[in-house]
Amino acid sequence: MKKTISNWGLFPSVETEKITGKTTKSVSEEIKSFDKIIPRGNGRCYGDASLQNHIFSTLTFNHYLAFDKTTGILSCESGVLLDSIVKDFVSKGYFLPITPGTKFITVGGAIASDVHGKNHHKDGCFSDFLESFKLVDHNGITHFCSKTENIDLFWSTIGGMGHTGIITEAQFYLKKIESRYIRQESIKAKNLKEIFDLFEKSNDWTYTVAWIDCLQKGNTLGRSILLRGEHAMSTELSVNQLSLENPVSKPKNIPFFFPNFILNKFGVKLFNFLFYYKQIRKFKSNFIDLETYFYPLDSIHNWNKIYGKKGFIQYQFVIPKHTGYEGMSEVLNKISESGEGSFLAVLKLFGANNPLATNSFPIEGYTLALDFKLNDKLPHLIKELDSIVQKYKGRIYRAKDALSTPDLTNYVTSETNTKFVSLQSERYKK
Amino acid sequence: MIILGSNSDISKAYLEYTLSKNENYSETIYLFSSNIERANKYKQHLTVIYSNISVQVLEMDLTKNFDLSKFKQLNFSHVFCATGFLGQDTVSGLYSKENTRKIIDINYSKLIPVILELGNILESKKEGSIVVLSSVAGERGRFSNFVYGSAKAGLTAFLSGYRAYLSHQNVHLMTVKPGFMATQMTAELDLPGPLTAEPLKVATNIYKANVKRKNQLYVLPIWRLIMFVIKSIPEFVFKKLKL
Repeated sequence: MKKTISNWGLFPSVETEKITGKTTKSVSEEIKSFDKIIPRGNGRCYGDASLQNHIFSTLTFNHYLAFDKTTGILSCESGVLLDSIVKDFVSKGYFLPITPGTKFITVGGAIASDVHGKNHHKDGCFSDFLESFKLVDHNGITHFCSKTENIDLFWSTIGGMGHTGIITEAQFYLKKIESRYIRQESIKAKNLKEIFDLFEKSNDWTYTVAWIDCLQKGNTLGRSILLRGEHAMSTELSVNQLSLENPVSKPKNIPFFFPNFILNKFGVKLFNFLFYYKQIRKFKSNFIDLETYFYPLDSIHNWNKIYGKKGFIQYQFVIPKHTGYEGMSEVLNKISESGEGSFLAVLKLFGANNPLATNSFPIEGYTLALDFKLNDKLPHLIKELDSIVQKYKGRIYRAKDALSTPDLTNYVTSETNTKFVSLQSERYKK
Repeated sequence: MIILGSNSDISKAYLEYTLSKNENYSETIYLFSSNIERANKYKQHLTVIYSNISVQVLEMDLTKNFDLSKFKQLNFSHVFCATGFLGQDTVSGLYSKENTRKIIDINYSKLIPVILELGNILESKKEGSIVVLSSVAGERGRFSNFVYGSAKAGLTAFLSGYRAYLSHQNVHLMTVKPGFMATQMTAELDLPGPLTAEPLKVATNIYKANVKRKNQLYVLPIWRLIMFVIKSIPEFVFKKLKL
């Protein structure tokens, strides 16, 4: 039965027939009859990645296989959500070594996009903690891939957006934690120079990220708040903060699509103003629960509906460090000039990349990720932003590349067969 | 605890909710399923999360002859039955003999002896509880799936009488009547969002109702009202509808 689906940005959408994964045996049988099919996890990427007229859903591959306490290696099926891992392992004293801003992605998706998080500058990407995985290729053959076996297939699958085949299970490290809390310091920065300085000074911190106001100009261009964090040790906390048990939480839900006028320039400016000034002092330090620190938006289900029915794109680029300041200033000026852009804008300093993970997005430099509501002016704005990123030899994240030029994501070279193709890879071939 | 139809999303949610509410759960968990491979995968999954539980997987395929004596050696005080088969609807499969046979066997004719056997064992212990998932589809035979509906109607009537019988033996039997649920069974159907319940919500409601020893439970509660309306439609109107 055909259904219309889209990714988290609600744009674009496609009519698709979903094939549900059942057991490893039938994966090769299932895919044999399709000329074109793409594996799909939970669909939390943006744009047209993992969209096709036939998709192979890995969500029924949601079992843990084994957990080794001595090494910290978790073996699980590829459809396990990071959310389940957080729910089941934080209470045992383990957390994800790398996590993106949402836990509602699958392990397979984490590998296919080689996700990164607030600790990239220290710990790298998801693949840096990945031991091995099993993959079913376009001939229906299952391969065991690791850093020592089927090495080429291992690295071309990482960040490969599902083009090499269907990951059925994976083995990766979890990291030990002492508490559920993050010791967070939030520091206000008046402008881009200040926040860049703060990032440099915070290099020893495990987690660093900044919320940035994209609509500022002139002296306050790049006004932001740095949020740096460390896992709190048990010695830093009071007795009632030591429990690792999951707190009972009541998530909120956005039940309907917001009308278009809500998220306009005025609304965003107002939000940004309130957000920056709600922290009265320049420097604040506190302990916050790790789910709030890592996944602030996950507690609002369907937050993408705030952008209305037309949907939105998320735009994320990185500019090499040595020209990061000039490049970022130019981009921010262009965004501010346009009046587009959202209140959800994130700035981070990436560390050096792993040269083996050639499909992976991060390179050493400054990255900015923000949402743009879809409208008629947007394609032109994205073209202009793309040319700035291109000028400074930067690149765009493949998981967030709707409306961008393919030249900016050509570091991904995993499209080696004609079976596992997405609307995204077909768009690139045009 | 015995779980019939253990691969069902509802069974899993119910079991995991029960384990979260009962630390150091000491009773053996018996998972009965027609898909042993998947059930064993689930057992492995459970033992990764809960290191101290005891789980056994047993095959129960109601389309074949099932040996009821398998239950005799097991030690249990609670049964959760989510065995069911939706089958094809009227438009696509009304006259398929295989479809009809399977719907009737799994939802009623082969299931009743299983429930009786388990009830008999609990009766001899004079303690325990049984939860069985029937369906709102059993409230009235409707155009779209009346073979399934009639099997569930039979099941509901059986459970009503058996509940009365068992209550004199200190054994509790609760009938759960789900409306739409977002599970593997309904994965291909286009269900209305607000009326479709998530497995965890259903499991939580069932667990709490069982603890309170309720007799019947509609999940979601709105279905009691919806079915009242559906049952009230006069037959001369109802037969023209393609509900």
